[in-house]
Amino acid sequence: MASQLERLDILHLPESLSVYVALYRDVQNAAFLRQQLLSGNKEFEYAFIDASMVLSRAHATAAIFRAINDYTNDRLKSHNVHSEIVFSLNPANNIADSFRKFGIADSTKDLLVVKVSVSPEITYDSVATHLETSVQGNSVSFDDETLSEISDVPRIKKVFKLGALPSPGDKTNGTQNTNAKRQLELSLLGAIALRGS
Amino acid sequence: MIAIGMEGSANKIGVGIMSHPKDGSPPQVLANIRHTYVSPPGEGFLPKDTARHHRAWVVNLVKRALKEAKVSVEDVDCICFTQGPGMGAPLQAVAIAARMLSLLWGKALVGVNHCVGHIEMGRLITGATNPVVLYVSGGNTQVIAYSSQRYRIFGETLDIAVGNCLDRFARTLHISNDPAPGYNIEQLAKQGKQLVDLPYVVKGMDVSFSGILAAIDGLAAAYGLGGSEKAREDAQASGKVQDPDNKPTRADLCFSLQETVYSMLVEITERAMAHVGSKQVLIVGGVGSNERLQEMMGIMARDRGGSVYATDERFCIDNGIMIAQAGMLAYQTGFRTPLKESSCTQRFRTDEVFVKWRED
Amino acid sequence: MADEYKPPALPAPFNNTRPAPELLTQGAEAHLYKTVSLDPSIPAALKVRPSKPYRHPILDRRLTRQRIIQEARCLSKLVREGVSVPAVLALDWEGQGGDEAGWGGAWLMMEWINGPVVRVVLEQWEAWMKKNASSLDAAQLEQENSRVRDLLRRIGKTLGGLHKAGVVHGDLTTSNLMLRLPTEGTESETSPTGVSMQGEVVLIDFGLASQSAQDEDRAVDLYVLERAIGSTHPRSEPFMEELVHGYRESHRGAVSTLKRLEDVRMRGRKRSMIG
Repeated sequence: MASQLERLDILHLPESLSVYVALYRDVQNAAFLRQQLLSGNKEFEYAFIDASMVLSRAHATAAIFRAINDYTNDRLKSHNVHSEIVFSLNPANNIADSFRKFGIADSTKDLLVVKVSVSPEITYDSVATHLETSVQGNSVSFDDETLSEISDVPRIKKVFKLGALPSPGDKTNGTQNTNAKRQLELSLLGAIALRGS
Repeated sequence: MIAIGMEGSANKIGVGIMSHPKDGSPPQVLANIRHTYVSPPGEGFLPKDTARHHRAWVVNLVKRALKEAKVSVEDVDCICFTQGPGMGAPLQAVAIAARMLSLLWGKALVGVNHCVGHIEMGRLITGATNPVVLYVSGGNTQVIAYSSQRYRIFGETLDIAVGNCLDRFARTLHISNDPAPGYNIEQLAKQGKQLVDLPYVVKGMDVSFSGILAAIDGLAAAYGLGGSEKAREDAQASGKVQDPDNKPTRADLCFSLQETVYSMLVEITERAMAHVGSKQVLIVGGVGSNERLQEMMGIMARDRGGSVYATDERFCIDNGIMIAQAGMLAYQTGFRTPLKESSCTQRFRTDEVFVKWRED
Repeated sequence: MADEYKPPALPAPFNNTRPAPELLTQGAEAHLYKTVSLDPSIPAALKVRPSKPYRHPILDRRLTRQRIIQEARCLSKLVREGVSVPAVLALDWEGQGGDEAGWGGAWLMMEWINGPVVRVVLEQWEAWMKKNASSLDAAQLEQENSRVRDLLRRIGKTLGGLHKAGVVHGDLTTSNLMLRLPTEGTESETSPTGVSMQGEVVLIDFGLASQSAQDEDRAVDLYVLERAIGSTHPRSEPFMEELVHGYRESHRGAVSTLKRLEDVRMRGRKRSMIG
């Protein structure tokens, strides 16, 4: 199936840096992908994120931006900008813990993949082609509606220690629901921005 | 018109004579003389000793000033004196002399607010028309801006004055009080390199120095840098001893203290400038003669597209001329201080004075 | 005289931003820009604290870092507590770039609040009333006054929420209060003045804020705002009691804070000067 790879527009980044994102459901080969990461296979240098730990586009984008900003300022805490993206999703300062909580696991079914064009040969086409042959799953649109079906909100709240916040419950409850989700999302962004302060 | 100004609110007694020519040409300083009571290293000046010093010198200074100015008593229009704020006993000593001269010669008496004296003298000397004023001395720390006939205080110290903080640390280090403790700290600070961490206390446009003083006194004690013994070593090695363990030296402490407190002062001044939309800064008061403070203020003002005005020690440090200048401005608007209202006050806020001589 | 004032170059990555952020205000400490958020369709506010060359570089970094983090922490905490403030979107306390390579100051990207500043709302209202109040009948006059009373009560309630969350603002003026424009579809109020007072009260500019639960700090917060309203909005000042009223009902600790406020009013915030 055709990949729905998206080039993420962040207008604050240098034009030479492009960010590509793809969201997959029903992934069949998570264990293989994880193994490639662990073995340090350069071909597979991606941020492979457990999409159930992503609340929204804004949540993912905040982590991506933070990681790239730390990358361009030469202060990565982890190996490369892709591992840094996974690390940046975590409010805590522990890299191994970030991978356990936000990174791909053998059992991952919903997967968010991010690639930053850190060298000129990384292009939309090169990423799309590689992902198409590497990820066995359904490529879906990276949007809030899809994510809302995937996100494990109670677990996200727990990891961010935001248990006291109102929960964006079922969808029948209109505005209240939207407000709760908005407050949770903004709380995540604050935590991501402030990590390590 | 000619005014005599008499100042004695702290450890300096100053007598100045000022002429405001009738043809409207710029005012002229006819005499500006001063004598300072210097206490031994490790000690501050006590009110009663300072008052005794002022009483002993006042007649001599007035005589010399008249002689230097080449004016006779008949030429004098008014006797201006510092009514406050300041130390009680020294203020009273000079006020008594001023009242006596007023009665003896039959001249009008004009009580002057010490801070307003600094501001008016600074404006006259530098030509700054409507600056934000940083007034920094042993007794005062204020950021002032003029608005509707008052010098309004935008920010000030919440506890001790910046000069007092410096003076007291000079005592801890047994640095000489001659010519002034702050001057000697400045010289020692020039050899400092290492910045030690000190509290930095700015609250809006206000500042606080007592915590900084306690912290740096604590560091001096912890590193064994206080006292007269160390002061002698300083003098012998002219401060060049570098501790091999990278422990801070006396010079480092002076350097760090200056960097910290002057940053605070520049910061609140900048805030006041942004608040009132002014691009001029005028620094007055004894601490204003510090070159590092002037330099920092200059960088800040430059970055805001403005400029800094400072005066040298003749006019920055307490003097009689500034009292004559501010007194003359008030006198020309018809202001007089009747004898029965001529008592001094240790507390006299800058914004209490109605500045009738300036446009709204 | 010196040259025209030019703001320092933007720190990275905003030297890349297309289109370039638009400078809105330049305070003593910080410059405020309007730009886009990480989502190009949503605007954002960008606060930059440029480095201060007059300060020792070590001291400069320490202060700039402390302050931007303090501000972001307060905002982030308030968002979690449900107090209406601009949310933190991104932050860098050791920004690079600026005029010379290396240290260029710190920056904070925040949620853009769409709506007017309360100062402007009250100024417009007061200006209209000054000119036209005599043309209103008693009922209309009462209607107008009650709109201001209602606004002040809402402000009081918001401040109560702020303090309850354990934060004091440190610089409360009507310039630091905004009204978030209601979303479309809300019925707009009608007033002959043409000045709307609708919208959620949002607190902005936490540059001097700190975490404190002390009655003294809270009371000074209220006192500073009271003074600011008294000096800038004389026609609204008589309704100050409504603000206190809204504050009192907002949380349990309000009573002791308001008691302290009376002390603060008596002594003022400033000490008398000793020579």
